[in-house]
Amino acid sequence: MTATPAPQSEPVASTSSQQSIYEASTQYRHWRFSQEELANMRSSLNLDAVSAIRHAFENDSPGSSTSVAFLNAEEEHLLVKLYVGKISQLCGHFRFPEEVEATAVTYLKRFYLKNTVMDWHPKNVMLTALFLATKTTNNPISLESYASHIPRTAPSDVLDLEFLVAQSLGFDFAVWHPHRSLWGIWLDVQTIPDVSMDDLQKAHEAATTHVRAARLTDAEFVYTPSQIALACFSLASPTLASTWARAKFPSLPHPPVLDVLEPIKAIILRNGSPPDVEAVREVDRRLRLCKNPEKIVGSNAYNKKLQEKEKKAEEKRKRKAEAARIAMEEGDPFGSELAKKAAAELDDDDDDD
Amino acid sequence: MSAIREVKFLRELKHQNVIELLDVFSSKTNLNLVLEFLDTDLELVIKDRSLVFLPADIKSWMAMTFRGLEFCHRNFILHRDLKPNNLLIASDGQLKIADFGLARDFADPGYKMTCQVITRWYRPPELLWGCRYYSTAVDIWSVGCIFAELMLRTPYLPGETDMDQLKTIFRALGTPTEEDWPGHTKLHDYVPVGQFPKTPLRELFTAASADCLNLLSKCLIYDPKRRIGAKDALNHPYFFALPYPSHPSKLPKPAKKETGPPLEEVDGNVEMVGSGPAVRANPPNKLKRRRSSEDFGNRPVARRLDFSK
Repeated sequence: MTATPAPQSEPVASTSSQQSIYEASTQYRHWRFSQEELANMRSSLNLDAVSAIRHAFENDSPGSSTSVAFLNAEEEHLLVKLYVGKISQLCGHFRFPEEVEATAVTYLKRFYLKNTVMDWHPKNVMLTALFLATKTTNNPISLESYASHIPRTAPSDVLDLEFLVAQSLGFDFAVWHPHRSLWGIWLDVQTIPDVSMDDLQKAHEAATTHVRAARLTDAEFVYTPSQIALACFSLASPTLASTWARAKFPSLPHPPVLDVLEPIKAIILRNGSPPDVEAVREVDRRLRLCKNPEKIVGSNAYNKKLQEKEKKAEEKRKRKAEAARIAMEEGDPFGSELAKKAAAELDDDDDDD
Repeated sequence: MSAIREVKFLRELKHQNVIELLDVFSSKTNLNLVLEFLDTDLELVIKDRSLVFLPADIKSWMAMTFRGLEFCHRNFILHRDLKPNNLLIASDGQLKIADFGLARDFADPGYKMTCQVITRWYRPPELLWGCRYYSTAVDIWSVGCIFAELMLRTPYLPGETDMDQLKTIFRALGTPTEEDWPGHTKLHDYVPVGQFPKTPLRELFTAASADCLNLLSKCLIYDPKRRIGAKDALNHPYFFALPYPSHPSKLPKPAKKETGPPLEEVDGNVEMVGSGPAVRANPPNKLKRRRSSEDFGNRPVARRLDFSK
């Protein structure tokens, strides 16, 4: 961290040139997990949600939660996966570029690493995630025309959740995607002598299908976009994939990257197909019965929660007014140190709703 | 939209010479960005007539600008609004590139981008002629203008309208020929704006070293393809020659308290001062971070942005 740009042999030297660009990205720093971590996150998120919702049911009318069959983590995941597929359909309808589709899918999947479908139904979150993705990838569309193309959707349905989604994403809007890496591989291979362009073209098309399948899986949380892209390319044509790797690392007889591919391929082949619609329908049917009542507009629990919130806000206003009154009475219009401090403390918890 | 852009890019960029986004949070319908607190900006420094710049000071600011910019470009991000006012200066003298409200990632080949970016005085000729396919070279032109402004202490190419901007550029640097810039007459909004002779930079920048003028001229090359890149600029002999760049902490700074409006311009440019550069794509009520945060002392200050668009 030397501040001086003075004599030095490497003028580009900076605090960040030591690591690769990808390692500096929020994707690498915040959204990479092992498969076990993912499973643990989902199951503990699910357990917390179930106990919170059970509590809300009991508050509403005691004893009412015993008959409810809550969703488990796998069922939640299944439902999310269905809506990942819906994003692709919608993108086809709107003719959005692949970048939008891939980004929206990532947003949706990331959202449900922090939230439960029992609080927020993926149908709505999916619409918001997609709309947000059009903005963050520089493919803006007006909210009105977006909402008008989707049946039974008002602009407010999309916008209401936007904060929640952005916040759940930790405002990490930039996402790196395998389809970009695949494009790079495709360009690279064209420069290798003695590669048949026909074979390459076929392999690229097949690999693109695999990249799309990979979007339905957790691969992006575990592996880098380029690893996933190469795995997809290798699924399409193992020979071309290793030709590329050898051309890329000419000094290594067996480029180590080839060893990461097998587990990725396995994930894609195992989880890369859309979920069985009947199974999901069953999950969705049960979800209707175990939704968090506090999140359903108009329900008793929702109104109660709203009242509580208003009461709290009212109390806070009173406390603030009181602090201001005390300050005024003490003669100093700007308040004494103590009153100021009390007011400051009141201000602090203002912002997490 | 511009808030989202700013958040998107600043979340990814962490560099000594790029403003740091400390936190983001939302409350009700606002998106609040907590940005690093920075005392002043390069525009105020340039306008403060009580300050004297040494060649080493200018070299230091240029080095920091190029470093920050090289980092943005290395991360595939175009800034698209570089000007002295967006180069903020920290209390320790470090210069930081700020305001990513117009920034975007590189477009793929064949995808159009808008040419209504960059404050006019710092906008390169290809954008003025409506070029929709461009790259990092647009930022470099802006840096070239800033470089010149640091030496002149007044905006180098202050055009009054987009058309006048082209004229101003050509009056200073000569009208480009087909050889200078192959294909420029085929640009979308190309209009001939008259023939002006080339004057050597030396005539205006009498005190500058040869290295310095060489780098400046490479930033202001008409053909975007031939314009120098940020990384090559950092490797330019200018940065290795004596005098070495000043240590950031030793750079001139305006006095702590802002005393009224900046001094009136006296270089025959008075008519420009009132109107200021037109910022087409920028919202007119853009917050001036340094001013609004003056009362808060040395701590991060939250900035409220409208998130509803």
